Amino acid sequence: MNFRRVSAFMTIQFKSLIRVPSALCMILLLPVVLALTFGLLFGSIIIDETGLTVFEFLVPGVFAISALYMAMPVSYSFAEDREQGMLKRIKTTPTTALEFIMSHIISNIGMAIIQVAIIALICYLLGYRPVGSAVNIISAFIFMIIFSLSTIGFGLITATLAKNAKTAAGIIWIFMLPQQMLASGLYPLPNEAEMISKFMPLYYATDALTKLFNGGSLGELTIWWDLIVLTIFSVILVIVGILLFKKYGK
Amino acid sequence: MIKTKNLNLLNNKNIQEAYNNKAIEVLNLRKIYRNKKTIEEVKAVDGISFSVKQGEIFGLLGPNGAGKTTIISILCGLISPTEGDAYVEGHHIKKDLKKIKELIGVCPQQAAIYQYLNAKENLELFGKLHLVKKEDINKRMNMFLNLLGLSESSKRKAKHYSGGMIRQLNLIMALINDPPILFLDEPTIGMDPRVRRTTWNFINSLKQKDITVILTTHYIEEAESLCDRVAIIDFGKLIAIGTPKELVEKYHSEDLEEVFLNITGRRILEGF
Repeated sequence: MNFRRVSAFMTIQFKSLIRVPSALCMILLLPVVLALTFGLLFGSIIIDETGLTVFEFLVPGVFAISALYMAMPVSYSFAEDREQGMLKRIKTTPTTALEFIMSHIISNIGMAIIQVAIIALICYLLGYRPVGSAVNIISAFIFMIIFSLSTIGFGLITATLAKNAKTAAGIIWIFMLPQQMLASGLYPLPNEAEMISKFMPLYYATDALTKLFNGGSLGELTIWWDLIVLTIFSVILVIVGILLFKKYGK
Repeated sequence: MIKTKNLNLLNNKNIQEAYNNKAIEVLNLRKIYRNKKTIEEVKAVDGISFSVKQGEIFGLLGPNGAGKTTIISILCGLISPTEGDAYVEGHHIKKDLKKIKELIGVCPQQAAIYQYLNAKENLELFGKLHLVKKEDINKRMNMFLNLLGLSESSKRKAKHYSGGMIRQLNLIMALINDPPILFLDEPTIGMDPRVRRTTWNFINSLKQKDITVILTTHYIEEAESLCDRVAIIDFGKLIAIGTPKELVEKYHSEDLEEVFLNITGRRILEGF
């Protein structure tokens, strides 16, 4: 793998975000709006005897949903590259599929870090103070980075199913909407629905963030379980996405 | 050097030199698309053989759907042939594809450029993908942009370019790695006559750099003014090959269009 090629792709992915405002809005503006709305509307509504506010209850879900929405520009970008003949053209150069996918993975991780930092700052400014040490905050970052990998997988699978970029923007909701409804922790759910949500990677990201922001210790087995399952989900999704896109994404 | 099995058997020095002079060798190439549901077969390329000399501009001339783009796609590794062999600079299209990709530049029929990048950024990206040194990228980029008169607009996003400018950028992106072999798939399609003429002069100037060019076209005038030799293709078959002059003389015709008409009984640009 050649890092000059990887960084060349990363540069254009960054430029595309800056120059195509809709993608930037999806990644940065949406989480900001969510955090501000929940913070300003529900920051003072207490829901239990410990003094937990609705906003504090919703914060882990805001982080998780924001990362989930990164699948949208990813799927759009893959489908658009294919639609405009860029993938074919790139294939005539010595670039390998691994270099191309790796550039997307690193870019997504970078975006996830920026996104988490921005949400964390806004939540802090709105008075949110997570219970727990700096280790918990760093661990939360790691969970978000691993979850951002799964969005690459969702993006690739969507780009395989979609005939063009516009259809990709619609199809991605097949993956996003159920996770947002069932696994984001934003809505109270019956047991049956919670069972279904355990088959979604977002559930494990939200669950881990909730524990970490509420003072959970890294010694807890459940946090490690979340980490293992989320990692397995992300790796499988990326591999399945690459294989499907290579075979049927032409 | 061509790596054909029989090459070692060639003792005659002249024949050996003639083989060595070949930039591309295509041997009985076939590409058949099979429809799994109807079991119908479409022979996109049907047993084609030809060779292209080093530094030659070689034209694949034929109507739409003749199989020209399929041949180029096979030679640059985008699709695999059903049967047959081909060598690019002596490298086998299946076994040495990685090496071939380092040696070729491809200008696709559909202009493939990043619309949100400007001309320089598009060229820089493809230079980097070929691992060209930064100073060489800059040198070539400025030279090509000047030659085609794109320098002034090189910092504007490509989405604001005219159709002709986009096609010209599409062409020079294939040259940024200074390839010894260049594939041009309908490079001037959609260009107005003035821009087309500038582009022809530019392609002709590549002869001085000893670049081998394989060009597909269905414009007779383009084939006649640019190509040293032409292969006329129809329904995936090679129906005639030679210099434009040789073909016109051989088939007692006025031009290549008439050659095609005499051989097939129909016109290349039928329906246009």
